[in-house]
Amino acid sequence: MKPLQALLALLVLAALSQAAPAADARLALPDFRALEARASETVSVSLDSSLIGLAARFLDPDKPEDAAARQAIAGLTGIYVRSFTFDADFAYPQAEVDSVRKQLSAPGWQPLVQVRSHKERNDVDVYIRVEGSKANGLAIIASEPREFTIVNIVGSIDLQKLHELEGHFGIPQLKLDGKKQP
Amino acid sequence: MSADLEKQLRAALRAVEPPAGFAARVSARTQHGRWRRGWLPMQQRWVPTALAASVLAALLLGYGWQTHRERQGLQARQQLIEALRVTGQKLDLAYRGVQEASRPSDDTGA
Repeated sequence: MKPLQALLALLVLAALSQAAPAADARLALPDFRALEARASETVSVSLDSSLIGLAARFLDPDKPEDAAARQAIAGLTGIYVRSFTFDADFAYPQAEVDSVRKQLSAPGWQPLVQVRSHKERNDVDVYIRVEGSKANGLAIIASEPREFTIVNIVGSIDLQKLHELEGHFGIPQLKLDGKKQP
Repeated sequence: MSADLEKQLRAALRAVEPPAGFAARVSARTQHGRWRRGWLPMQQRWVPTALAASVLAALLLGYGWQTHRERQGLQARQQLIEALRVTGQKLDLAYRGVQEASRPSDDTGA
């Protein structure tokens, strides 16, 4: 192998080894176009690293909520959200929800919170992907009678920074630190 | 000695009548030179127009790209805030579920 080819091969390998961990934390989300037509409200967010960087430039560092958001997204390489609201109960196909849940049984993903509320008929699963001692992926699957949501965050996640966003942008107070709600 | 020098200088610097047609030739050459310096030949007159058009096109493209990038950035910001809002809401739902599940054991313990 010529030196130039060897150098190129090494560069490609180095780039792949850098990209692999983040890519693993990204879930293959089904094509929900059919669901969009039936939903009364749809939220579809797909932000890759370049769009996250671009969005960060439009966050005002002088505003506390924007500064907190900027800190929360530092180190993230992807944010993918699909949320559908329906006018009738359980109008979404369970198979599509299960196909995403199955991906979370892959090595690396660990369940953080699993809630099955028979009274409210809510199922919420929060998974975290850990590599070494660092979290590099977060997945939330929430199925409620009239709402179905998948959140997939890729990149190094600092839950404390996410927590600091409480009370901003319509994010409720989570009281994860035991603070009492006013 | 100085008288000789003076005589030679007078002879050298004496007024001489220009040859016939000299004035016309000088005038013609001057006109030709001005034309060459001040304006381009016909076959090259498109160059400044093309340059001006290129500059204008580059300015318009730059402005268009900046406007597009700004719109894209504001849209990305909006999407980011929406994503953070939905994430927060679902984490809150999970938190409330955990609280709900732990409540009966709290009651029995009290």
